[in-house]
Amino acid sequence: MEPVINAHGLTHEYPDGTTAISEVSLTISEGERVAVVGANGSGKTTLQLALGGLIEPTAGSVDYFGETTDAEAVRERLGVLLQDPDDYLFNTTVREDIEYGPAQLGQSRETAARRVEALADDLGLNGLLDRPPFRLSGGEKQRAAVASVLAFDPDVLLLDEPFGAVDATYRERIQRRIVDHDGAVVLFTPSLDLVPAIADRVILVGQNGTIAADGAVREVVTDRSLLAEQGLRPPPTVRLFEGIAPDDEVPLTIAAARQSLLNGEF
Amino acid sequence: MTGVVGRSVESITAALRAVFTAEQVAATDGFLQRRDPRVTLVAVAGLALAVMITRTLAVTVGFAGLTLALAWLSAVPLRRLLARAAVVPLVSALIVLPQAVLLPGEVVASVFGLAITDAGVAYVVLFTLRVGVGVALLSLIVLTTPFSAVVAALRQLRVPVALVWVIAITYRYLFLFFDELQRLILARNSRTKGEATLRGGWRDGRRVAGTFLLRTLDRGERVGRGMRARGGARPPSPYRRSRSVDAGDYALLVVAAVAVVGSGVIRWGL
Repeated sequence: MEPVINAHGLTHEYPDGTTAISEVSLTISEGERVAVVGANGSGKTTLQLALGGLIEPTAGSVDYFGETTDAEAVRERLGVLLQDPDDYLFNTTVREDIEYGPAQLGQSRETAARRVEALADDLGLNGLLDRPPFRLSGGEKQRAAVASVLAFDPDVLLLDEPFGAVDATYRERIQRRIVDHDGAVVLFTPSLDLVPAIADRVILVGQNGTIAADGAVREVVTDRSLLAEQGLRPPPTVRLFEGIAPDDEVPLTIAAARQSLLNGEF
Repeated sequence: MTGVVGRSVESITAALRAVFTAEQVAATDGFLQRRDPRVTLVAVAGLALAVMITRTLAVTVGFAGLTLALAWLSAVPLRRLLARAAVVPLVSALIVLPQAVLLPGEVVASVFGLAITDAGVAYVVLFTLRVGVGVALLSLIVLTTPFSAVVAALRQLRVPVALVWVIAITYRYLFLFFDELQRLILARNSRTKGEATLRGGWRDGRRVAGTFLLRTLDRGERVGRGMRARGGARPPSPYRRSRSVDAGDYALLVVAAVAVVGSGVIRWGL
């Protein structure tokens, strides 16, 4: 598979001297599902902004689609969802916010209208489209922000904690949207709970802003000592089946665990 | 934050945030809402220009009547329109108030030994009314047309991109900053109790102002990233809301053109 993002030696130091990420090199390939996990303050958000071309790294570079190192040149192919929906929703109505990306990135109004309609249906935004974003609840804002990034159908999604404050119903719908996305998805999260259901690869950002692990989901999420060292805990099923199932057989999702129990495997 | 300063800040913040409710009016059906946004922009701005040209009280009152009629036809609540348009003329009145005693004319009253003249009063009243009607007309654009439609119309009317950019960014940031201020006040209120003295209020106000400045700079940077993430580095290009220009559009344009020409003729003659 072709690489869509190729980062070389990314380092970012903030003006106060804090080094958020250090010498990070990674490749994201077409259609890949990657979770970037790490404890609070480990540098996940800085890494997302650097990969999305929204901050200039102190050192290193990012190559997009093997074509360019200028993110603005491929902006319509990069869907970067910021962590705080209030930073992402700045238009006067939710509809304008969802349409903002497609309009700015030159997509046709008809295509955008179809997408807005479908996203509003799926993410429960129909009654909210003409309301100002600041009047929405936290979960509603998050859903509107997710709809805004999906609206222009980018080739790569870089999503920073897209489930924050969203209730269970819409969490599942957002999850399905992410899983069904045609392009690559990179999910930045401090929790491993949903990672096995979404990703097939995990990149663990260590507390010093370097990559502490990069591997298949099972390999990383069952490495309890590594996770504990980085201030993280394994997904619920891994904790539940600890000492019951071997690491290479432990079910990683609730659905798989339920099936295993019904089958009397453990 | 309690006290006079805190309450004032809260009131101003609430009033500015209330501008967003204009979008709800814009979504209703009415005369101006049915117009092509380019026509609304050109015609209403033309009427505001006509008001600025005039120096006759009767003509200004006529424009005030026209403004109220447009608001009524567009289902704009008159109280909201008056509330939005009141602040600027009131400030203007304070600024031009000395003219009431400075302009020569027949003395109509005397206050603290100062002679108020008829010409002075007429000047203050006319000036304030002109400003009020002008602001009310411009408010009608915002109240009846979604902001993205205004931006799209400006682009279609070939207004320089840099100017449209400045308008679009200023409008968005203004309200985001006041949103930030309100959060700051809420956070502070949640950890304070009792009624502050005026002095305490000022002290609080100074502290909040400092924090507000730092937070708005940070917020501005983050929102800037949010815009760039969705193509905000490119010139503003919202979808056009224009439609085929109909008889109502032509009628409005004619009224505006007649108003501008008529105002000019009445002021300067043929």
